[in-house]
Order: sequence, then C-alpha cells, then structure tokens
Amino acid sequence: MRAASRLVDSNWPGLLRVAVMVIGLTTHIEAAENDSSAIANFAPNDPPGEWRSQARDFASTRYSPLNQITVDNVKRLRVAWTFSDGVAYGHEGAPLVVGSMMYVVAPFPDVAYALDLSKPGSPIKWTYAPDPAPLAVGKACCDAVIRGWAYARGKLIYNLLDDHTVAVDVQTGKEVWRTKMGNVENGETMTMSPFVVGDKVFVGNSGGELGKIGWLAALDVETGKELWRAYSTGPDDLVKIGADFKPYYGWMQGKDLGVTSWPADMWKTGGGAVWGWISFDPQLNLLYYGTANPSPRVPVQRPGLNFWTSSVFARNPDTGAAKWAYSFTPHDQWDYDGVNENVLLDLRIGGRQRKVLVQFNRNAYAYTIDRETGEVLVAAPFAYENWSSGFDMKSGRAVVRPDKEPKPNVKLEDVCPPDIGGKDWQPSAFSPKTGLLYAGIFNICMDLTDHRQSYIAGTPYDGMEITRQAGPGDHWGEFIAWDPVTGTKAWAIKEKSMTMSGALATAGDLVFYGTVDGWFRAVNDRTGQILWSQKLGSGINAAPMTYLGPDGRQYVAIYAGVGGAAMVAKAMPGFPPRGSTLYVFSLDGDSVATGLEMPQ
Amino acid sequence: MCFVGPSSSHLRLAVAALCVGVATTLSACKPHADSTAQGASRALPADGSLAALPLGDLAGTAKLLAANDVVNPLAGNAGAIEEGHRLFIAMNCAGCHGYDAKGNMGPDLTDAYWRYGGTPSAIYNSIYEGRPQGMPAWGSALPAHDIWEIVAYLQTLGGAVAANEYHAGMQGDHGITSTADEAPGLLVKATAPSSPPQPP
Repeated sequence: MRAASRLVDSNWPGLLRVAVMVIGLTTHIEAAENDSSAIANFAPNDPPGEWRSQARDFASTRYSPLNQITVDNVKRLRVAWTFSDGVAYGHEGAPLVVGSMMYVVAPFPDVAYALDLSKPGSPIKWTYAPDPAPLAVGKACCDAVIRGWAYARGKLIYNLLDDHTVAVDVQTGKEVWRTKMGNVENGETMTMSPFVVGDKVFVGNSGGELGKIGWLAALDVETGKELWRAYSTGPDDLVKIGADFKPYYGWMQGKDLGVTSWPADMWKTGGGAVWGWISFDPQLNLLYYGTANPSPRVPVQRPGLNFWTSSVFARNPDTGAAKWAYSFTPHDQWDYDGVNENVLLDLRIGGRQRKVLVQFNRNAYAYTIDRETGEVLVAAPFAYENWSSGFDMKSGRAVVRPDKEPKPNVKLEDVCPPDIGGKDWQPSAFSPKTGLLYAGIFNICMDLTDHRQSYIAGTPYDGMEITRQAGPGDHWGEFIAWDPVTGTKAWAIKEKSMTMSGALATAGDLVFYGTVDGWFRAVNDRTGQILWSQKLGSGINAAPMTYLGPDGRQYVAIYAGVGGAAMVAKAMPGFPPRGSTLYVFSLDGDSVATGLEMPQ
Repeated sequence: MCFVGPSSSHLRLAVAALCVGVATTLSACKPHADSTAQGASRALPADGSLAALPLGDLAGTAKLLAANDVVNPLAGNAGAIEEGHRLFIAMNCAGCHGYDAKGNMGPDLTDAYWRYGGTPSAIYNSIYEGRPQGMPAWGSALPAHDIWEIVAYLQTLGGAVAANEYHAGMQGDHGITSTADEAPGLLVKATAPSSPPQPP
C-alpha cells in the first residue's frame, strides 16, 4: 500500500493569469488553461532565440518560447548539419547559443569549440584545449563525462575532470583563469555543469564513490577566486549552517548533525558529492542543489542518518549560508543520490499558492517541496519501487522495508529502483502551457551484495556488487508527463531501452527526448503521441536544446554519444557503440547553407 | 553513482575476514602470513628484478635487459588464488575493475586486450608501479607476495598472456601457437646514426 499524498486541486485559470502577469510572462504563455496550475519564473529572461545556460533559466525548466517547429510540422525535421568532436566518452551536456555563436565542450580531455552559426556548416571559430591530467579518467566513477558548461559575461566557464574550473574568453578562445578546486589523486573529479548567478559561478565535485566529501563552491566570474565553500558533511561551520538554518522537520534539527549522525570521523570520508544541477530563485535569493550518496555505500559501516548526504540544500548565494535542508533518503542504503534537478515552480496546492521545487529523486519518489521552508507537499512514486512501504507525510520520510535493507555478503534480490535510481541526473523539462513536467525515467531493479570496504585514498569506497534487470513489464525506460500538483502521470511512453536523455519543452507544444538505443523523438506535450523519431549514430544521454539561427530559422540540437551510467546496460544485445556527434535539425533540413551550390 | 557491470560469478562467502578502516600498513590486512603451501618451494623473483622490463616494444635491435618469461611462482596455487581474490575485493580493485573483473572505471581484466602487457610479469608491474589513467601504484603498500597472489587470481580469469608469450602478446598473437616472424634473411640491422640513408 502506498500512503503517498495525492493532494488534488482543480485548475485555477484566473489566478494563473494574475500570476503570469505578476511575473511578467505575457508573451510566452498563450494558454491560460493548463493541466495543473503550475507556472514558472523564466528569469533571467534571456533572448527567446538563445540558450545561454544548460537549463535555459534559473528555474531549470528547459522550456523554449520558440514555436516555428510545432506539432503540425515537426514531421518535416531533417538534419541541417552535424559536428563530431571525436571523443568516445559519454556526452551529457547541451550546446549553448549566444548571439550567432554556439559553444560546446567535449568530454575528457574537455576540449571546447566555438562554432559560427552565421556561416554554412557552422565552422569552428576557435578551439580551446585545457590538457587536463590523464589520471582523472581512472578516478571518475562513472565515465569521463562532462554534464554541461556555462556562459557568463563573455566567458565560457566549465569544470575539467581533474578538478580545475576554467574560464575562456568567447571572442578569442584564450583562457582567462583556471582555478584548482581539488586533488584528483585522492579520487576527486568534477563533471557537473557550473551555474552562474550574476558575478558568481557555482561548482561542485564528484568522488563520493571514492570517499570524497562533497562541497559546493562559489567563484568570482571575473577572476576565478574562490569566495566560499560549503561541505555536505561535517560540523556546522563547514556545512555553513548557522542561525538562519531552519529545516522543516524535527529530525533534521540539531547542532553538528553532519558529525553526530556518523560513526566517529566517518563524515570525513562520507561522500555527499555535488555533481548534479543547481537552480536559483531570484526573489527568495536562494540556490537549490542536491547532495549525492553517503560513503562507503555499504550502510552497515555507517550507522546513523548520515547528514547531509542524499539531501537538498537551500543556500544564500552571496554567503553560502544554508537556509534549510531536506534529507530525501536518510541513511541511504541503495545509492539514491539526491543530485537530480530541482525545477522551481509556483502552483496551487491544498488551497494555497505555493512556491515549490520539484525533484524526481533517484529513490523513485517525485517530491513537490515548499522551497521557502523545505516542507514536503507531495511525495509519490513516479517509477517502480519496492524499497519503501509508503510515505509518512507527517515525518516527511518514506517508510523503509526491512527486507530490502542489504546485509554484508548476503545477496539481496530484486531491489527497485537500483543504484542509478528510478531516474538519474538526466534533467526533466517543464512547459507552462501544460503545467506538466517531462522526464525520462527508468524501470530497473537490482540484485545487490554488499562487501565491507576499507578506505584507501584514490580507490573506490564503494562495496556494492550489483546486477540489474528490467522491472515489471520488461522495458528499461519510460518517458513520462508528470503533474506536480497531484503527483500523478498524465501520460507515459514505454521504451525498450533506458530513457536517459534530458528533455526539452517548447512553445510549439512539443517535448523532445532521446533513448539509449539512439532514438531521438518529438512528442505532443498534451497527449504523449510520438510525432517524429530519428535514429542517431549512438545512444543519447545528452539534453536537447533549441535556438533561433542568424537566418531566423528554429533549430533543435542534441548530442549522441552514449556513456555515463547508461553503460550499466552495455552487455545488452544491440547496445550502441560510443559516439561523439552533435546533430542539428531544422524543418526540411534548411540552414544558412541552403541554396548555395558549394557552401564555403 | 558508481556502477558495476553484470556479474556472472558469485563471491565466495568464505572470504569474510576483511579488514575495515584506514589501513596504515595495508599488508596488515592479511589474515595469515603465508598461504603458499604448494608454491613455497618456488622463490619469488628478486625485488626490483622486473623493473627493467619495458612497457613498450624495443627500439631497433636492442636486447631486453630483463627476463621476459618470468613465471608467477604462485600461479595455479589454490590458496594463493583464493587469497588473491580476497585481496582483489579488500584492496578495492573490484571497485574499479568490477566484482567480475570485466571492467568499469578500470579496464576489463578477463579479456585478451592489455594496454600494458598481459604476461604475469607485466601484470605484476602494472600493479606494482601503477598506470597513468588512475591505476594506483601498490608497490609501496603491498608486499611482493600479495601482488603475486593477485596476479595468480587474475591468471585464472582467462585473459592473461602466458609467461613465454611476451612477444606474441606484444604483437596481438596471444594464444596463437604458430607466429609468422620475418624470415631470417629479411632481418634488417639498424642503421648507424652516423651514416644516414642516401637517396638512390
């Protein structure tokens, strides 16, 4: 029995219209009637044809107001041009478009390219090769990936796998600054996309599988100087927990919980890496981001609630001070990281207008959380799970099933979801036209045998021996539309292979996503009807994006280059080879080269 | 979010005596000092004797300065293999190479593809010295005997190159019994640097 909250509320178009006007979105939203009442603030309101950050806006909606490509003409999408960077690791980021330039960064060795969209074939304007240390490849738990890059004030900013953050002048391709953030020899790497607010760029680490303590740091955009760093475990001063910190639930309140919820000193190797996405609410002036699994992954070695791993933090971006936190999976026993994207929405729930964040957590619950207080408003499974027997809304905790708790050296069969979750980091999208979120999710279970671990710096502090298989229905993937008010699916498309790409929603009433077996699809955002599909050269893990070219045409772009956690399925028959190609589509394949007999 | 690939073999539950916590002297994790009842008569190669074995092929007609056919003195020793398997898990090798050794963060150790050589001595050196893309150097942490036990375990997984197949392994002919070397009459001696080749 599920005890998940299903707080149903009817649409309220009147209030929606008011809210839309208040936030100033008069042009982007035509449909006043939306399926859930959820809306978003699209700050920083970048030019409609551009795509300047990985999720396009602070709220992480991945929604574009472009509407040349629609449900009626999407079947005419054809390849306009392609670009291959030749790197055989997982491609997980989305290109950025600023003005008439596109910026992409390949996975390790993290070479950046500027492509001139105003010229036929979008030729390379400059290439920047940062030459990171090869050692990093073998310290990255889950493929030598890069999950994204940022644009700010004339600079392309991204993380190298070997723990350096770099800024590159977008005019010249020359390095402006390079800041060392960690020691790769100890198993720390960086794979996440930096996130920029104003004059600060926020970056976090990977390495929880190797016992590295997680952190989020703020750097000065102009100089790369580190301004503050907040750790995920440890005493309150390291976690930047002070007088302002007010977690909603009593069991998360207390002094130095990042120390006392661990056996002696184990917080120092306790994980909680920050390798996922960051969101920002400019009105509340709060950053939101999640922390990853506790280390070692063998729970019997770390009795306690293991704060603040597998959690979400709300922090002041200027000081780093924590406002609240919420632990999705206290004493996480299955590697259910909390790093997935937090989409910031405003919606009406239980008769009240609420500012919320929505996260599809690895533990297979989708949470709608009040982003001012950290109160869970809705928690409902979006994928098949059997680790809990339901959700206790009073305590804000899922109820753990004792028979799904692993014991060392004992094979535990059929735990769902597996380590990679009911959904991994692949980001969802939100459309204000429907009020729905769109996400690629998993239908996977695992057999698990834990092995006690010794901490040896620079090696995995891990201990989960895992085999994985499909959950009920024998399909590994699914693409869903989700109502964050009711905690229910509006529709779902079952996919044979993993559905592990980001999603894109557009004002053309479309959502786009890709599959690990290489299909890129466009779907009607209200009905879930597949309107267009194109097989690409490799599996798709990256996020699609869309932009308006200098020629006034709308393009849709996606990288095909399978890797990362999708490699758990590599032994499946027909699993695609690696790839490194960016595909760019337009109606009829038209581009600035169209009509030129021999484009130069 | 680390992951390990599909595992075909179950671990022996007998290997339960794992050491936990930070090991200052890693060899202290060994539950017993010597498990080489069968192999005790065969001495380990002298410390450092493998250091002259190159990673790559030899330039010109240079001769190897080290024996390239060193046999693992613990190969086939059941006790050593079990201990090697235990160390493979306890020293976190499995965390990178997979509990089935079929590769994840680190490469597959069960196939015939070896970046740095698949003979017992080459595998020993890779463990002892570490390798550039993340393989730690264990020579400073594990005694030679432990490393040879791990090599003995890896030699049971099917991919290792026989000790006497050093050159065959280098040329991609691992397991192929007849190798077609150049006929002796076609061997060309290296040209001395002082007499560069002249145009015809």
